[in-house]
Amino acid sequence: MTQTGSPQDDTTFPDFLDDYFAECDEHLTGVRRLLLSLEGSVGRPEINRAVLDELFRHFHSLKGISGMVELRQAEDLAHRLEDFLRVLRQGGAILTAEGIDALFDGTQMLEQVISVRRSGGTFPKVRDVASRIAQLVDTGGGTSAARESAGNVEETAPPSTTPLWICTFSPSADLVARGIRVDTVRGRLTGAGEIVNAVPRVSADGSIAFDFQLSAHLDEATIAAWREDGIDVTRAPEETRPSIPGPADRDEGETTSTGAVSSSQFVRVDLARLDELMRNVGDLVIGRARLADTLSRVESRMPSGEWRAIQENAIVMDRQLRTLREGIMRVRLVPVGEIFRRMPFVVRDLARETGKRVRLELRGQTTEIDKFLIERMMDPILHLVRNAVSHGIETVEERIAAGKRPEGTIVLSAATAGDIVSLDISDDGRGIDAEAVIERARKVGLPIPAGSTDSATLLSLLCAPGFSTRDESDRASGRGVGMSVVQSAVEELSGALRLETEKGTGTRFVLELPVTLAITDALIAKAGPETFAVPQGAVREVIEVAVETLLQVEENEIMTYRGAALPIVRLSRLFGLPETTRSRLHLFVVGTGSSAMGIAVDRIVGQREVVVRAIADPLVRVAGISGATDLGDGHVVLILDPAVLARQMRERPDRTIGGARGALA
Amino acid sequence: MTSAESTAGIGSYILFSVAATTYALPSGEVRHMEMLEEITRVPNAPSFVDGVVFSRGQVVPVVNLRARFGFERAPFDLKTRLVVVQAGTRLIGLVADSAREFVSIPPEAIQPPNDALAGMSGRYVDGIATVRDRLILILNLDRILNFDEAQTVGLAV
Repeated sequence: MTQTGSPQDDTTFPDFLDDYFAECDEHLTGVRRLLLSLEGSVGRPEINRAVLDELFRHFHSLKGISGMVELRQAEDLAHRLEDFLRVLRQGGAILTAEGIDALFDGTQMLEQVISVRRSGGTFPKVRDVASRIAQLVDTGGGTSAARESAGNVEETAPPSTTPLWICTFSPSADLVARGIRVDTVRGRLTGAGEIVNAVPRVSADGSIAFDFQLSAHLDEATIAAWREDGIDVTRAPEETRPSIPGPADRDEGETTSTGAVSSSQFVRVDLARLDELMRNVGDLVIGRARLADTLSRVESRMPSGEWRAIQENAIVMDRQLRTLREGIMRVRLVPVGEIFRRMPFVVRDLARETGKRVRLELRGQTTEIDKFLIERMMDPILHLVRNAVSHGIETVEERIAAGKRPEGTIVLSAATAGDIVSLDISDDGRGIDAEAVIERARKVGLPIPAGSTDSATLLSLLCAPGFSTRDESDRASGRGVGMSVVQSAVEELSGALRLETEKGTGTRFVLELPVTLAITDALIAKAGPETFAVPQGAVREVIEVAVETLLQVEENEIMTYRGAALPIVRLSRLFGLPETTRSRLHLFVVGTGSSAMGIAVDRIVGQREVVVRAIADPLVRVAGISGATDLGDGHVVLILDPAVLARQMRERPDRTIGGARGALA
Repeated sequence: MTSAESTAGIGSYILFSVAATTYALPSGEVRHMEMLEEITRVPNAPSFVDGVVFSRGQVVPVVNLRARFGFERAPFDLKTRLVVVQAGTRLIGLVADSAREFVSIPPEAIQPPNDALAGMSGRYVDGIATVRDRLILILNLDRILNFDEAQTVGLAV
C-alpha cells in the first residue's frame, strides 16, 4: 500500500479542500455581516471595537487556511485586509468612506478568488485591490487620525497563556482505513482548542504531511491518544506564536473553558451521514408497512385478544417511528437566515452600482429549512433579489416623479405553514409591464396564450427558456441565466413559484418548498404494466373520467372541466408504455389557471407514505421523474414530478418527453 | 493514468463474461455482485440502460453490457449477474452473462489493446492479458459509464 501519501492523493486532498471551502463560507458570511454593521461607523470617532476584532479574526483565519491550501492570491488579500484592520483597531482611528469601500472590494475579490479555486475559471486581477488596501495601510489612510504606534502591533493583542503546540499529521492508508483523515484530525484539533495556523508540507519521500499550530490546553492522555492516531504533538517554541487578538474583554483562565464548552455543544455532521441515518429510518418505515400488511391478513385467523395486543404494540411503534423520523429531519434543518445574510451585501453593492436607493428588510430569518434546500435555493434567491434591485426598483428621480418615497424597499421573508416553507421576495418598484413582456415574448418567438395575461401566464413567459437574451442580461440581474433557471431549481425540489405584480406598485415572487424532502405522502398509480408514485402535494385534484368524454384535438386530448378546457396527457404515451384498453381513466390535475393540465393513468390504486430516495446518476436522471421509492416488496417504484411533466408537455405537446427515443434506438 | 496502471500494484481482477468473451475489472472497482431481480424500467433513459434496482438501500442504474457493447440482449437466467461497481461517488450495476472469479494479473502480462479490437467492445478496453492461455479484456469503467453528448439529448431536465 504505497498509494496514499502523494500530493495528488485523491482520498485526502479533495476532502480537505471541501473542508476549506466550507470554512471559507463561514468566515465570509461573518465578514459580510460585520462589514454591513461597520458601514454605520463611517466618519464616526468611535468604531465598535468588538466588530473590528471579530473582522480581524475572520481575515486572520482566512489567511491561515488559504495558505494551507496554497491559494496565494487569497492568502495575500486576506493578509492585506488583516493589516488594514490592525491599523483600524489602534485607538483613535476614524474609518473613511474610502476605507470601507476598500474593505468591501477586498472582501469581494477574496470571495471571487476562492470561488474560482472551487469552480474553475480565470483568477481575477488581485493586484489593484491589494495595492489599494496596502496604500491605505501605509498612509494610515482610510483612517483620518494618524496612529502613534505603527508596527507596534503585538502590544495590542492581549497576552495569552494558552500553550501553543505543533501537531503534525501524516495521512496514510492505514489511518484512512480507520477513518482518520485530515478533516477528522482538523475536527479533533478544533474541538480541543484553536488552530492558529496550518501548512501542508511535502516530505523528501514525496508524501504529504500537515503541520497544525494549535493553541490549547492539552493533557498527557490526549497527546498519547492523538499519537496513537498518527498525530505527532510537540510544544511550539515561544517565538512562533503569531499575534492573535483575543476578545477585548478576555478574562484569563476562564476563556478557554467557556471556549471549550461552546465548541463541544455543536457537532459538524457530514450530510451523507445524516442521509444514511434517514435511509435506515426509511427501511424501518417500510418494515413497519410490511408488518401492518401481515397483521391485517392474520386478523381473521388469530384470537382477537392476542391480535389486538400485537396491533396495539404496532401502533405504539408507529408513533415512536414518527418521532424518530421527525427528530432526524430536525437535525437537517438550518435557519433560512443563512441565505438571507448574504443579501444585504448584494443589495448594497448593486444599489451603489445603479445609483438607486434601496432598503432591504429581512423577516423570518429563524425559519428552518432542510440544509439540502438551502444550498440549492441560494442562487435562485440571489437572482430574484438582483432582479428586484435592477428591474423592480426605480431610480430616485422616477420614484419621486411617481409620488413614491425616494428609497425603494425590498422585503425578503420566510415562513412555514405545515410542511411548506414559503420564501417571499417583494419590492415596491415599478411592477412588471405585462404588455412589454408579451411584446418581448413575441419578438423572441415564444407562443403567446391568447386573451388572458394573468400573472400565471406572465410568469410562464418570463420563465420560458430564451426569454432573457444574452445582449440584455446585464451583469447585475442574472448573468444571462434568467428566470428559467429559477423555475427549474424550484421544480427540481418539488416546489412551486408564484408571481403577483401590479404596474406601478410592485412585484412579489413566492417560492414554496417542502420543508424537507425525505418522506412524503404519495398516490400510487398504475399505467400499463408499471407502477408510479405521485407526491400528493403536487396534485391539486384527482378525477375519474370516461374515455369517451375526452375530445380529440389534433394530437391532443382535451376535456371540459369546471367550465374550461383541460388538456390531458396520457402517462403511458408520454413514457412509451404498452397501453391497456380501458373505458375509464384516473386523472391527476396539476397546475392552476391557464397552466392546468391533467395527467391520465389507468387507475390510482392507493395512497401512502413513501420514502423518497434520490435518483442521482446521470444515466437515469430523466425529466419528470424526481426519485424512487420502495413499496415494501424491494422493487423500485419511480416517483413522478407532475409539475415538470406538465411543463414539458406545454413546451412541446406533440412529442414524448425525452424526444430522443428515436435517436437512441 | 488508466485504471490498469493505477491498480498495477494490487493486480487483482474480477472476471466476468459477456457474449462469450471474458472481461476483467480491477477488483477495487467492484463493490459486490448479486443475482438480478426485477428491474424497473426508466422511461427515456439511454438505450443501454435497463433501468434501476435497489442494491443495499440505494437506487442503482443497471447498464446492460451486451447492449453497451453492441450485442443483442439475452434473456436473464440463473447465471446472470449484476456486478455493482463504484466509480467515484457513483454506484452502478453492470449486467454480465456470468461472473466467474478473482484472478491476479501481473502488470507485465497486460498489453495495450491492438487495432484488431476496434469493433464492438474495443473502445471500452484498456488492455489485453493472457492468463493460462485465456484471453482477458481489461475494461475501462469510465468509458463504459460516460455516454457522449448525442445520447444525452432530451435527457436534460
